[in-house]
Amino acid sequence: MKVWQKPGFWLPLVIVLVWGGAVLLIHQDTMRESAFVLLMAVGLASSLNILLGYTGYVSFGHIVFFGLGGYTGFYLLSEQGWPLFASAIGGGLLSAFIAGLVGLAVLRLRGAYFALATIGINEAARAFVSNFEPYGGATGMFVNFSAYQKYGGPGPALWTTFTFLWITTMVVLVASYLVKHSRFGLGLLAIREDEDAAMVMGVKAPKAKTITYVISAFFPGVIGTLYFFKNGNIEPGDAFQLHMSIEMLVMVMLGGMGTVMGPLVGAVGYQWLRGYLLTSPIFKDLHLAVAGAMLLVIILFVPAGLVGWVRNHVQRLQKVLE
Amino acid sequence: MKRFGVGFVFVIALSFIVASLSAPPGATAAAKTVKPAAAAAAKTVTIGFTASKTGKFNVEATRQINGLHLWMEQVNGAGGIKLADGTVIKVADKFYDDESKKERVQELYTKLINTDKADFLISPYSSGLTDASAVIAQQYNRIMITAGAASDSTYKKGYTLVYQSYTPASRYLTGAVDILLKLAPKAKKIAIIHENDKFATDVVKALKIYAEKKGLNVALFEGYDSGTADFAPFINKIPADVDAIMGGGHFADTTTLARQLYEKKINTKMIALLVAPPEPKFAELGDACISVVGSSQWEPLAHFTKESAAKEGITWFGPTGEEFINAYKAKYKEDPSYHSAGGYVAGMILQDAIMKAGSTDTAKVKAALDAMNIMTFYGQLKFATGPKDHGLQLGHDMVYIQWQKDKQGKAMKQVVWPLAGATASAFVCPAR
Repeated sequence: MKVWQKPGFWLPLVIVLVWGGAVLLIHQDTMRESAFVLLMAVGLASSLNILLGYTGYVSFGHIVFFGLGGYTGFYLLSEQGWPLFASAIGGGLLSAFIAGLVGLAVLRLRGAYFALATIGINEAARAFVSNFEPYGGATGMFVNFSAYQKYGGPGPALWTTFTFLWITTMVVLVASYLVKHSRFGLGLLAIREDEDAAMVMGVKAPKAKTITYVISAFFPGVIGTLYFFKNGNIEPGDAFQLHMSIEMLVMVMLGGMGTVMGPLVGAVGYQWLRGYLLTSPIFKDLHLAVAGAMLLVIILFVPAGLVGWVRNHVQRLQKVLE
Repeated sequence: MKRFGVGFVFVIALSFIVASLSAPPGATAAAKTVKPAAAAAAKTVTIGFTASKTGKFNVEATRQINGLHLWMEQVNGAGGIKLADGTVIKVADKFYDDESKKERVQELYTKLINTDKADFLISPYSSGLTDASAVIAQQYNRIMITAGAASDSTYKKGYTLVYQSYTPASRYLTGAVDILLKLAPKAKKIAIIHENDKFATDVVKALKIYAEKKGLNVALFEGYDSGTADFAPFINKIPADVDAIMGGGHFADTTTLARQLYEKKINTKMIALLVAPPEPKFAELGDACISVVGSSQWEPLAHFTKESAAKEGITWFGPTGEEFINAYKAKYKEDPSYHSAGGYVAGMILQDAIMKAGSTDTAKVKAALDAMNIMTFYGQLKFATGPKDHGLQLGHDMVYIQWQKDKQGKAMKQVVWPLAGATASAFVCPAR
């Protein structure tokens, strides 16, 4: 395997592998919960980056796939009695399918028009689910506490969910690298720089963009199922929160868009900072102000994102940080 | 693209700062951790919870926490909870901001239990956040008293350690049907227009079943999206001979609905709406608020006294309504709302259970909670103990208010139901 000789491929993987492995080994609950929030952010930001970073299409409503996939996975799990693993994959597949259909239509739009359309899709999905009785309508669905018994009780169930999320996150990172370094990915980068020129050069832009959209929609669906299973309930208000979409964008921007490492650094940095400020005795009353000020400083002085900045300034690291 | 990124994150960062600065100043000052005075012989129990100090639940959650803090201050001020074996229990609290969002609720509760060693838990405000936290409470064998979590479904998931202090959503408006049948025994038709969200939908689904059971015909049953500002399409659908209009959702939409019902001169015998009517701000509607009925978890006017408890043969516990209102006003310089009372009562429930259990052991306190049946200034408290709905509030009932005119013609709230606590009798909606 040639890719294993490239640090850009294995570095982010090893980081997540060691991190998740350490959490599993130490087996401490508080640590698992923090890691869950961070890994979820890494997974979501990285899957958004596959679309945003490589094709340059800003999807404001990417959380719709987290919500729809989560809803479907949760439905399969609680109403149809599917196991968690199959439900999560089912949730992901539905998200990918919807993305394929929607993508054919909205990916013909560019720039601000595409961004606005994605917000519209999110709102439409929320309105649909609120009135869709099999999904519980406005009230949503819940799993009985006894459902956790299948996984050895609530404690082990949470560990199973964590392990699954950990693996999913690694798969997202692999997918992100493979897309970037394939011939297909080069086509995407060409679309990002100049879509018309790319089409003249023979890149089939509509098809390439739709496939990218499908890939970047699959993983949020899987992660959504895991997240809502862990919470024990799902309702429209929680599943389609626009602010989570925006936070995903911020994480990608902070870390450096269009890089594999960027969303990892951005998501961990952002969520860790928020978590730290939220629970620190000194900052807990002012956490939003401090987080805001730090974001300002970072974006004013490091507009390319952290990974982008390092790549631009340290020649030697260019091959290490993809 | 780069420029977009800079501008974008810039705006987000600014919005954080603005959100943080726009939190009411009282929120930070009042939310400081209350520490009990050190006492050598006293044991201290830690009560853990998350508070929505920022975000959409800020106002309600702040009042809830204010109520809880008042209770803590009074308990510690009185020397703590004295147990039969002579141990004195002081209470301390530990809490974090959940930003009114679900994402970190489970993380924070896990931290409260494992790192901060919380002995008992109070729920966050709202059913959604409570659902997420209850899983954690049950998993770590901690008792959680919920406040501000009305949805019935939370208590139907098989938890055995989660106890509700609010009247469940399914009984939020059912009393309005009783009032209607008392006012107009011949009433036949009602119309229900409700916000299409979890809380309001839970309420009206139960309302519909109850109304049909009482022989009423639900002629219209329509949901509107959260944030709706124009109700004309719904109001136009209301049949002309309808006897009552019920429903609503949260404050802003329900207020608009009440106003537009008045402007469109809809004639009906009764209008009963959710959430908005008990708020003092509802009076700003002027004539449109007159005769509107609303339900509330607790009202300062409502009279639950030691005498009324004795009459029903239930033990009285805690301060009287007046004592609570005066203490709350003295500490926070504002009138308590039912959220404040809910927070205070969540503490009282724990206090009574710990006293009766004579211990802070989870199993013993749980047994005391299961057996609880007390009367307080907030009303009766008693929990379901069956496996299907363990922890659901059974004793507490909603209080129904109606906006009436006082002698000077000024709008004022009167308690009209239950009759035992009524301060005025209800009247039929005048012709408009």
